[in-house]
Amino acid sequence: MSKLWTLFLVIICSTSLYATEGIHLENTPFHFTKAQRVNKYTTRIPFKLVDRLIVIEGELKGKKGEFIFDTGSEKLLINKVHFSNLILHDDNISNTSGILDYIDNPIQKRIQNFSLKSLSLFNKESDLIDLSHIERAKKIKILGIIGYTILKDYEVFVDLHLNQITLTKTDTKGNTLGSNIYLEKIVDSISFRLKKHAIIIDGFINKKKAVFALDSGAEFSQINTRISKKALKSFYPKGRIILKGASDKELEVISGNLFRVQLSETVYFGPMKTILTSFLNINRAFGTKLDGILGHDFFAQKRAIINYKKQKIYFINYPILRK
Amino acid sequence: MKLKAIHIILFLLVFTGLDMYAQKDSIKGYRIDGDHIVFRFNKNDYLKATDDHTEERIDFEDLNIKEVFVAGSFNDWSRGKWKMKKISENIYELRKKLTDLKDFTPEFKFVINQKYWAEPTEDAPNITAAKSYDGVEYYTYNFKVLLAYPSKKGNYTFRLPGHKNADKVILSGSFNKWDEGAFKMNKTQYGWELTLQLKPNYYEYKFIVDGIWMEDPSNKNKAINEFGGYNSCIDIKKDVAFILNNFKDAKSVILVGSFNDWSETLCPMKKTIKGWIYTIKLSEGKHHYKYIIDGKWIIDPDNSVKEYDLDGNINSVKMVK
Repeated sequence: MSKLWTLFLVIICSTSLYATEGIHLENTPFHFTKAQRVNKYTTRIPFKLVDRLIVIEGELKGKKGEFIFDTGSEKLLINKVHFSNLILHDDNISNTSGILDYIDNPIQKRIQNFSLKSLSLFNKESDLIDLSHIERAKKIKILGIIGYTILKDYEVFVDLHLNQITLTKTDTKGNTLGSNIYLEKIVDSISFRLKKHAIIIDGFINKKKAVFALDSGAEFSQINTRISKKALKSFYPKGRIILKGASDKELEVISGNLFRVQLSETVYFGPMKTILTSFLNINRAFGTKLDGILGHDFFAQKRAIINYKKQKIYFINYPILRK
Repeated sequence: MKLKAIHIILFLLVFTGLDMYAQKDSIKGYRIDGDHIVFRFNKNDYLKATDDHTEERIDFEDLNIKEVFVAGSFNDWSRGKWKMKKISENIYELRKKLTDLKDFTPEFKFVINQKYWAEPTEDAPNITAAKSYDGVEYYTYNFKVLLAYPSKKGNYTFRLPGHKNADKVILSGSFNKWDEGAFKMNKTQYGWELTLQLKPNYYEYKFIVDGIWMEDPSNKNKAINEFGGYNSCIDIKKDVAFILNNFKDAKSVILVGSFNDWSETLCPMKKTIKGWIYTIKLSEGKHHYKYIIDGKWIIDPDNSVKEYDLDGNINSVKMVK
């Protein structure tokens, strides 16, 4: 009977993109409409959760919509559904490794002027892709996806208690610029390494070494079907689910709860909703061998500050709420 | 052109089947009571049960009910973990914290004697088609715990006057992902209405009158939608109690914050046995605040969540969800 509860999940597969479509965004006002500039170097951006996706309200070329916050995405991705009539600027074809999908040859762009209200970002590489399938599933208007190229110059505080992201500009060594940034107490930290754009964390599953990528765009964590038996013992399957792609690709995977995930002696996690799947393509995308991807539950369980230049993640406790 | 597919995956939860049933005015199988969910099994709500092993359908009246369990996505569909308490001859209940449901959109069923699955009838508004491993819909339904759901004791009533000749009016909005069938409105002598229990948030919605979408004529708050038309808007607020312990000798304590434009007169706190309290309706989101105790501004000593404001001052922060 456990079959009955099967949830219908979708792998979002964008259609192939060709060099005949493009986007020209030089000097385009591009901002997050609810961003709040705390000081010269720090901006707070409120977000909302759509199911388990972090989305930020924004505006691009006069169109209002949402941007998905995705630490697993390499670049700024623009939804061609809303910007298909823009002039091709750059015919460069790149292979993006966004967190979202099979993305085939999106067209690399450069956004000359990307502003987080008062913060201006220049020459950010971006890609144009079709995100209409996410829009259909989530019933929201998605303008694009915020990825590594936007985030790497900042210390990024992802706070699922206050539902906001705080971006603070850093110097070349990763030291935050300005003062009066947070009042929260950092209680722990871990190191990570960057592989291409991906945050790679060495940790443990059931005390067995495991390599994770951190991906805020993954609604559910994932583990490789090829992880060790000891690690696999920490995965409690609940059932099978069908991952269905927009192009009718279907994949049957096992879903369940992953227990005993630990990233250091002191940093450990409660059960995470997890999917057991083959990492063949995922490993190719990240250019490294992964045992797992830590998705939404990572942030749901830890208020985390990511410093890309120092390659550290700092943790802040959730408050104990008075009832 | 050589296409190099590079793989990264995002999984989306798709809710299906909500529009495939008729609806009565109240959900079945549970009620929300504060921070708790109370599962409620009423024998009279069921006509059929399915044998777990043989999948044979049997008449409910043939069952000799000894015990009832709740089985759902939150407890691995265990037939014997969440035992319900017998309240009366036909009623069983089980109270759980909402946080016990974890995430996903929970679905559940009742299990009789750890063997027979009570099959929901099709008139419950919160049923969803059960699916097999390969996504094919079974002929049975599960109950679904809805984040927004119709309830006579709900916190907001949507009303559409007139349209008495309409056959069907649906309420559709951001609270149910613009589902075009889930929330059927009830006919009244004035028109149509439906009361929902909604979490604090800003919502947009429309009515669908016999297939025609329309705004709420009695609601002036509107937002332009992607089709160039308008959606009606509501802001569901929540009662939030600000509690300051101690300071019993103080003569006056004022609550000031971003929600009252830092007014030093609008929210005088009331004295309690332990300290001071003020309850105010707040919108979903983040609110900065402080207390003024006999003229002196302080942050909340019991709240660890603080932030700098845009002028560099430190405020306490209350999050409403």
